[in-house]
Amino acid sequence: MNNLGIIFALAGAIISALVAGIGSAKAVGMCGEAAAGVCSDDPSKFGKVLILQLLPGTQGIYGLLIAFITLSQIGILGGSADLSWQKGLLYFLGCLPMAIVGYLSAIKQGKAAISGISLVAKRPDQSSKAIIFAAMVETYAILALLVSILAVSGIGGLNI
Amino acid sequence: MAVLQMKRINICALKKDRKPVLELLQRRGVVEVDSVLPEDSVFSRTDTSANRSVFQKNITAAASALEILNQYAPEKKSMLASLEGRGLKTGRDYDAFAKKYDAVMETVYQITALSRSIAESKSEIAKLEGQLEALQPWLGLDLSMRFKGTSRTRTFIGTLPGGMDLEAVLTGLAQQNPELPPVHAEIVSSSQNQTCVFVLCHKDGAEQVEEALRSIGFAQPSNPTKHSPAQRKQELDERIARAQSEIEQAEKTIISFADQREDIQFTIDYFTMRSEKYEVISELAQSKRAFILTGYILAKKADDLKTELENRFDLSVELSDCDPSVDPPVVLENNAFSAPVEGVLESFGLPGRGEVDPCSVMSVFYYVLFGLMLSDAAYGLLMVIGCGFALLKFKNMESGMRKTLQMFFYCGISTAFWGFMFGSFFGDLVGVVATTFFGRPDIALRPIWFEPVKEPMRMLVFSMLMGIIHLFAGLAMKAYQYARQKAWLDILYDVGFWYMLLAGLIVFALSNQMFVGILQLNFILPTLAGTIGIAVAGVGAVGILLTAGRESRSPFKRLLKGAYGLYGVTGYLSDILSYSRLLALGLATGVIATVVNSMGSMLGGGVVGAIVFILVFFIGHTLNLAINLLGAYVHTNRLQFVEFFGKFYEGGGRAFRPFAVHTQYYNIKEDF
Repeated sequence: MNNLGIIFALAGAIISALVAGIGSAKAVGMCGEAAAGVCSDDPSKFGKVLILQLLPGTQGIYGLLIAFITLSQIGILGGSADLSWQKGLLYFLGCLPMAIVGYLSAIKQGKAAISGISLVAKRPDQSSKAIIFAAMVETYAILALLVSILAVSGIGGLNI
Repeated sequence: MAVLQMKRINICALKKDRKPVLELLQRRGVVEVDSVLPEDSVFSRTDTSANRSVFQKNITAAASALEILNQYAPEKKSMLASLEGRGLKTGRDYDAFAKKYDAVMETVYQITALSRSIAESKSEIAKLEGQLEALQPWLGLDLSMRFKGTSRTRTFIGTLPGGMDLEAVLTGLAQQNPELPPVHAEIVSSSQNQTCVFVLCHKDGAEQVEEALRSIGFAQPSNPTKHSPAQRKQELDERIARAQSEIEQAEKTIISFADQREDIQFTIDYFTMRSEKYEVISELAQSKRAFILTGYILAKKADDLKTELENRFDLSVELSDCDPSVDPPVVLENNAFSAPVEGVLESFGLPGRGEVDPCSVMSVFYYVLFGLMLSDAAYGLLMVIGCGFALLKFKNMESGMRKTLQMFFYCGISTAFWGFMFGSFFGDLVGVVATTFFGRPDIALRPIWFEPVKEPMRMLVFSMLMGIIHLFAGLAMKAYQYARQKAWLDILYDVGFWYMLLAGLIVFALSNQMFVGILQLNFILPTLAGTIGIAVAGVGAVGILLTAGRESRSPFKRLLKGAYGLYGVTGYLSDILSYSRLLALGLATGVIATVVNSMGSMLGGGVVGAIVFILVFFIGHTLNLAINLLGAYVHTNRLQFVEFFGKFYEGGGRAFRPFAVHTQYYNIKEDF
């Protein structure tokens, strides 16, 4: 029971890197297929479709970010790892927004980016609009990131 | 900060001057030609599509010749060639080229023909190699494959299915016909799939032998050679060698044209210019001896052009103000600090009717927000050095590329500034290196202001403050636009009331104990200020409720629309929250940089540690910079387009497309 805290907290860190990362990997993969299709037709659009392909990749980075902050907060990256099980559970909960919203928003952003890629294929001059459409989705990943950051960095100061 | 003024221009000139007048206009590039005059019995338009299609054909031919040339004699280009911009040609070069382009087109067609003959030779070689392969099993035969026999004998040359040896062939024949006349058989070659045989018999028994052979699957070769296979092979080899040398010859000839590459490129430009000129000719109203050109001209260039035209030709130029009911095309002009973001504005849309050019206000916010999102001093300095170097080295850069680099140059300055404010230089590089390699954990880059990783709440409040400033600036732009249209009441209704509501709410929130507690602020406004704030907000809200639907006549509808307008306050809330991305992206850069540094320092000090550190450092930080540059660019654009422009700007203006030199390879320089 003594170690339960650290287990919960580590599970949270890992799940945020894992789930958000899977979402981004899926989405970037789907966009890559679409982008390769466009490039087979017109290789000069590479730069524009590459940006669109990369857009849903940020959720994975945010997941990593939360994982890293959690790891350094609970003392796995240098320091002592001594945690009550309640605190560990709180860390776990704090990681959840990034994991879940990160996963779903990456997939949805990927779909928006794919539509953006087909827009660029037809009208290359409209690429900045395609980018904005896809970037709108990311707002929610950013909000989830924000909640996770605030939660994870606040838990350390609690007295339980 | 301005949308440039336009004027209408009408030029009436003699037809004999048409060519020089149009060429002058094309090189000046300040007039957009349109065709507003109706055709009548005197003035009519000419159809130039036939000429233009000839030019287009020449352009296509020259472009494909250029491609062939580049394939065989690649142009030496450095990595940064795209920054160099186009070469320069003078107007005199252009005039001289009129006598030269026939010769160049000759070369162009020659290159195309040579490339075609190379392709033909290649397919010939492939065909010959196929024949050679079919001949391979017969090489052991020293007779012609068409040899039928002597006066007394009969020969059968052909293939049997499957791999067989001599005994198998003879037994096979004997089984078919036990009374077979004597035969002499030889195996020429045998493989798994087929056996090539030579069978000799007396003429009298030829028919029986043939029948027996057929029944064990004998077939004559599909194209028997006239001479012996060995001789035939030699012949084929010679023909392949000949085709190969033809290819080499043709390639050499093509490569010898490499010194004409510039001419071919200029040919493409030359015909592009002429094609554009003929497009303009088709817009002109022409009579037997005169023509009229109408269009838009930049107001500040109008008088110069008028004087120049009138001095050089016998013509009349009429300038007039634009018809206010028609939207003129848009050109932006900004100072060196704001002009770089014009490209971002163009990708959203140029200012439409009644809208101002927001570049100057936008540029300040653009650089600041970008810097906050990337917020690493080292990354910022890298951007400044990279862009600054490219801008200094390549003077002749295309203007679009120059503006983009200038934009990132300014963004880099801002990034470096915020990086020092927040104490981030490649993340925590200074501290990590000092601790790992020099054993001095006391050395680190201290932030000038504060460290967002340690105090995320403080950074969040600051981000939202930036958001409020940005949004209020957007509202102020709206007020400025109304002021230009002298719509004073609209300023109060659409801007004043919103300022009252938002500012009042903010003041009220800042006097609230709970809210201040959440934001961890170290000050609180007195209750009185909160009361005043909520009162002001109330006045604003009532004002919006009453005026937001003012274009509707029915009072009920008005009130409903007003209520909907007031509901827009939730939009402001989400707009302000949206600026929390400044915190999130700023932290992302810093934390990933820290991860890279701590991964690099895992092996500790010493030589091996240092080597690993340098490797991880280069790969990790390159990746981090690339990803976060993209993120900062995209999200700065988003904050401008959605949050800022949402308050006052729609775009929808039409870009000015002057009749000018739109070339691919060379700029035409003024020389007269």
